[in-house]
Amino acid sequence: MIRVNNLHDIPWREGLTVQDVLDHLKYSYALITVTLGDELVEPERYADTSVPDGCAMTVFHLAHGG
Amino acid sequence: MTNPISMNQLETIAADVHAEQAKYRGMLMVCNGTGCVAAKGFEIKKILNDKLAEHGLQDQWLVVGTGCNGFCAVGPIVVVQPEGIFYQKLKEKDVETLVTEHLVGGKPVEKLMHKNPVTGAINPKMEDISFFTKQQLVALRNKGLIDPENLDHYIARGGYTALRRVITENRPGDVIAEITRSGLRGRGGGGFPAGVKWASGRKAMERRGCEIYVVCNADEGDPGAFMDRSIIESDPYAVIEGMTLGAFAVGASEGFIYIRKEYPLALVRLNKALDAARAAGLLGGGIFGTDFSFEIRIHRGAGAFVCGESSALMASMAGRAGEPRAKYVHNVEYGFRDKPTVLNNVETWANVPPILEKGAAWFAGMGTGDVKDNPWNGSSGTKVFSLVGKVRNTGLVEVPMGITLREIIEDVGGGVPDGRTFKAVQTGGPSGGCIPASHLDMPVDFDSLTELGSMMGSGGMIVMDDRTCMVDVARYFVDFLVDESCGKCTPCREGLFALSRILRRICDGHGEEGDLDMLEAICDTVRETSLCQLGGSAPNPVLSTLKFFRDEYEAHIHEKRCPAGVCKPLISYRILEPECTGCGACVKPCPTAAITGEKKKTHTIDAEKCIRCGICFEVCKFHAVEVK
Amino acid sequence: MAPEKIDITINDKKVTVLEDSMLIKAVIGAGIALPTLCYHKDLTPNGTCRLCVCEIEIKGKKRLVTACNYPVRQEMTVWTSSERVQKHRKLLAQMYLGRWPNVPVIQDVARRCGVTDGAAFASDLTDPNPKACILCGHCVKACDEFIQERILDFAGRGILRHLTMPFGESDPHCIGCTSCAHVCPTGAIQIIDDTNHPVDPDMIRRHGMKVNAEMATLDKNQCCMREVGTANIVEVMDRYDLLPVHNYKFGQHPDTYKVDSQVLRKKYFTQNNPDACWFGCSMSCAKAVDGFELKTGPYKGHRVTVDGPEYETVGACTNMGCFDPDFIVEFNFYCDTYGIDIISAGTGMAFVMECFEAGVITTADTGGLELRFGACDEVLECIHQMSRGEGFGVEVGQGVRQLKEKWIREGRGDAQFIRDIGMEVKGLEYSEYVPKESLAQQAGYAMAVKGPQHDEAWLIFMDMVNNQIPSFEDKAEALYYFPLWRTWFGLHGLCKIVWNDVAPADNKKYAPQQAAKIPEHVDNYFKFFEGMTGEKLDEEKMLAQSARVHNLQRLMSVLFGFGTRAEDTPPYRSLGPVTEEEYLSRAERYDGQLRSVLGLDPEKMTLDEKRATLRTHRESQYQKVMDAAYARRGWSQNGIPTKARLRELGIDLPELLALAAD
Repeated sequence: MIRVNNLHDIPWREGLTVQDVLDHLKYSYALITVTLGDELVEPERYADTSVPDGCAMTVFHLAHGG
Repeated sequence: MTNPISMNQLETIAADVHAEQAKYRGMLMVCNGTGCVAAKGFEIKKILNDKLAEHGLQDQWLVVGTGCNGFCAVGPIVVVQPEGIFYQKLKEKDVETLVTEHLVGGKPVEKLMHKNPVTGAINPKMEDISFFTKQQLVALRNKGLIDPENLDHYIARGGYTALRRVITENRPGDVIAEITRSGLRGRGGGGFPAGVKWASGRKAMERRGCEIYVVCNADEGDPGAFMDRSIIESDPYAVIEGMTLGAFAVGASEGFIYIRKEYPLALVRLNKALDAARAAGLLGGGIFGTDFSFEIRIHRGAGAFVCGESSALMASMAGRAGEPRAKYVHNVEYGFRDKPTVLNNVETWANVPPILEKGAAWFAGMGTGDVKDNPWNGSSGTKVFSLVGKVRNTGLVEVPMGITLREIIEDVGGGVPDGRTFKAVQTGGPSGGCIPASHLDMPVDFDSLTELGSMMGSGGMIVMDDRTCMVDVARYFVDFLVDESCGKCTPCREGLFALSRILRRICDGHGEEGDLDMLEAICDTVRETSLCQLGGSAPNPVLSTLKFFRDEYEAHIHEKRCPAGVCKPLISYRILEPECTGCGACVKPCPTAAITGEKKKTHTIDAEKCIRCGICFEVCKFHAVEVK
Repeated sequence: MAPEKIDITINDKKVTVLEDSMLIKAVIGAGIALPTLCYHKDLTPNGTCRLCVCEIEIKGKKRLVTACNYPVRQEMTVWTSSERVQKHRKLLAQMYLGRWPNVPVIQDVARRCGVTDGAAFASDLTDPNPKACILCGHCVKACDEFIQERILDFAGRGILRHLTMPFGESDPHCIGCTSCAHVCPTGAIQIIDDTNHPVDPDMIRRHGMKVNAEMATLDKNQCCMREVGTANIVEVMDRYDLLPVHNYKFGQHPDTYKVDSQVLRKKYFTQNNPDACWFGCSMSCAKAVDGFELKTGPYKGHRVTVDGPEYETVGACTNMGCFDPDFIVEFNFYCDTYGIDIISAGTGMAFVMECFEAGVITTADTGGLELRFGACDEVLECIHQMSRGEGFGVEVGQGVRQLKEKWIREGRGDAQFIRDIGMEVKGLEYSEYVPKESLAQQAGYAMAVKGPQHDEAWLIFMDMVNNQIPSFEDKAEALYYFPLWRTWFGLHGLCKIVWNDVAPADNKKYAPQQAAKIPEHVDNYFKFFEGMTGEKLDEEKMLAQSARVHNLQRLMSVLFGFGTRAEDTPPYRSLGPVTEEEYLSRAERYDGQLRSVLGLDPEKMTLDEKRATLRTHRESQYQKVMDAAYARRGWSQNGIPTKARLRELGIDLPELLALAAD
């Protein structure tokens, strides 16, 4: 199990990538910053960075509307 | 024609045209290319019609206005078919003679025929004239034989059968392969294999899943070159069918012709041809009633030489300043509107229908090298040249690739006139190079010309005689390029300007030690670092003249002497004692009244007053004026 | 698809780069200096000075390329200063020196190429001016790419090439953005400030240009504001269940794709230039549709230019259930033309539609208009009536608060239902975001001084998506900081969009709490202030400046009877699901919350029980967030600024103290 934004619990599986998590949560906004634990993940690495089990992931959306 | 034509109608249309023509005793093919039009070609056509009517012959002889015949030196031209009697340099008053003596009297008019300039023998027919005998017509296959504004005429000559076959078979990949196997290389100057270009374009279109465009470059900008103009004026449908075939092969539904505004007649004919093709369902939606659609739009260029460069042309088409961009990413991937774009010039497109009609092997059989497996292996087919300068038969010629320069200049061109001797031929437009007599037996193809430091270019060929100063020639072409450089990149802008200054200095007699090294160094940098091929080839006139005529440069610099007697600050005119008869013919034309002398006594030129215009030299019948 | 990483060799050193990135980046990245006079890091390469020429070899073939615009390819070997390259660079540097001998950047580059004398290229065109234009093209690119104006360009061919505005005249379209001067390497373009007399124009320009460079280089991969303006978030809001649909019942609709920014970009937007609402801003968020043929109303058949649509316009229409882009543009046009606020019109009409569908009103009230969700033609007719002062349009024009009171007064249907779904606070209609799942946003809307609009605090993503402000104290802090910050730049006539609709590439170096503020961009505003007034500013000072005005505004609101806790309380539609249909549409979410937050078993509850329990919970949560926010702001529990707070802010004037709480 991994936890995203201390809000969503997502079942972990072998080979789960950052991109898989984003797809699962339908996080498609352009201005996001992803961290795994304390480590920042660059956008070009979303597809080939795997998420370790039990990891706390944050997907920070930079949006202020209006 | 207002109804769309179907595939099986082509033969009917051809038969109708032949039947219509068979009603006449013969046809009078009046050249209405731009050269002949300037020499009253339209008037000749009108008078011819009037005279036929006067004699009640209008139902027996059909007058057809054709595109450029090619033998521009002797226009206006009328060819009487089916015999092929060739009448030249016709004046309006000659028409009556032609009608009464030939058409009524049945006796061809010898005094209006071509004469061999050396033997004086009369050449009644086209095939008797050496200008025509070595030519082989592919791109110009219909010149002088059809009315360029008549679609039926084009069809009657086999037009649109290639398109019919290609659309019926519906294998675009095969079409591209056929063009590749034919070895057809771009006639616009680069000599890039057309089939390879088409294949890359199609691949880019498929990969990106976007539109692709085909473009025809009719922005012929080389001084003295008129190949493309003549093709459009004499056979516009060949270009249109060629582009339609190309569009089908690469998957385009939109095409553009970029044509100079200075070509009004070509533009009129092109527009008429496009309208007729649309009305006949050969252009626009549902060609031949199939679901293949293709439309051609015309863009008129404003006359910048650099707009002949593909990326500048596309920038100009898009409404931006006509400046090239770096082509590390090719136009076939990101061209017009950033979409894949296949650009070929007029002559290349005009070669496409006959290749697809007669097969790649037929085309590859002409020219040099074995191109069937690799189009880079040679130069197949023919090439159209505009042959101008110090040559008897100026005009438009189409010869097989691999023919020697000597054959073109001496046989087709009839050699250098006025008893002068051949000095050099400049090929490839302003940024081509000058080739001396010692290389006249070199075969003309893409690679040989490049090897010699010149290039094929689009096919301009300027012949120079012994009264041409090669330094002056280099200066002339560099000045042209200084004016026509877009100025975007530093080496072309600043470097050409520096070349021009040095060349002018040399011509003015102020050349310095080290100037030649400097010329070479600048040429090298301009050639290797310019952004586009205009700059890349601009040093050719300097480098090739330096290579073959270095002694002339040295004479200018070290001896302050112009061996050809051209550079005014370095020459003086003198009247020779024994030759001068004192006829006085030179006195009146002299613009500065520098020549004086008593009648029947040797005249003299006041060097102070003389502006070295050379008029006295031209008018003296006794070779008594010497230039040194 | 992300570009592949490839290895290339530069001067015998292996370097890993992204395929198709420009060679110059790889060279600079490898710590190798290249001379150049036309490359600028924030502009697309010109490739004109040719000084960055390098020798490369691919598959055994050597050639010269310019590093600034050559896309790197597989198996490439690069020499940045081979003999051949050096020879050319020297000559090019001489050409530059010959033409412009006294320009410092040229002297500098020439020195680096080993050249100090350009006499061989001196001519009568030699320009001794040390600030001469050297035709690098930066200004032309900046005008095009930063500001999208294309006012500056070159004219003249060859050696006659020179910089000009169209027809050699000063062009009225120049908005004075100063981008050209900012990027000019020689000082050939000078800006003469004679309008506002700022203390330090360069400071303003430096920071403004930073934003312009970010817009030019980053926006296309971020929000695409330059292409589609604020409409970029139509599809984003839909995906995050935040796009108002059917009077805020739902946050998504299957037809959103018909009206999203892609559709607007492809079929509608024809104008893409900066509005000049803020001098020099290159965001060009304002879009326009040209040649739009109207189908209704007094201008039927006319072809008109429509300013918009922006996000709120589209949101107002989806809120009415109208997913026809032609309708949106026409609605946009007539609201503008009649002087009707689009948000109020859309939200008001959505309320009317829900009332119509619920039977609160009928065609007898509407003059025959079938005002169901999605009734595009009827909406337009109603708007036309409103402008003519006729029929049902007049009634709708009174706004949601008046309608609510009237229909409750007339005893139509369930009064509570009408109160719950009438989306207004303080008499102003809600703007177009669904706040149901974000407690902080509910308060951000309802506690805003002038009513429920988003320009005080828009906290939805921070709160419900990022979960950055989980506690009441966190939310209260956000409800303190953001309204003051946004009020501050509003006060200075500065726009919000360049603050956070583009983010610096390295904004992620900050921890999320800080990153949300986009510190570098906040600093830009401080520098604008400093450049204008000469006074240094920091966050504390800024907040103090703003709080004085914000509290004053609140007191005005108190004076007019709107500045109370009751007036800060939103209709329930803003907090949670009003109807059964609404609850069931997101049953999984609501059931989940009953289970995880309240520890209940939804399986054992009836739908009415579940709705009532959720409502009680959400309403009490809202009260708590208000308590926390009032405390943070220094207001009484009735929402009125305290005397102590006024004294603290130095605005303890007798008239104000009379309104303040103890």
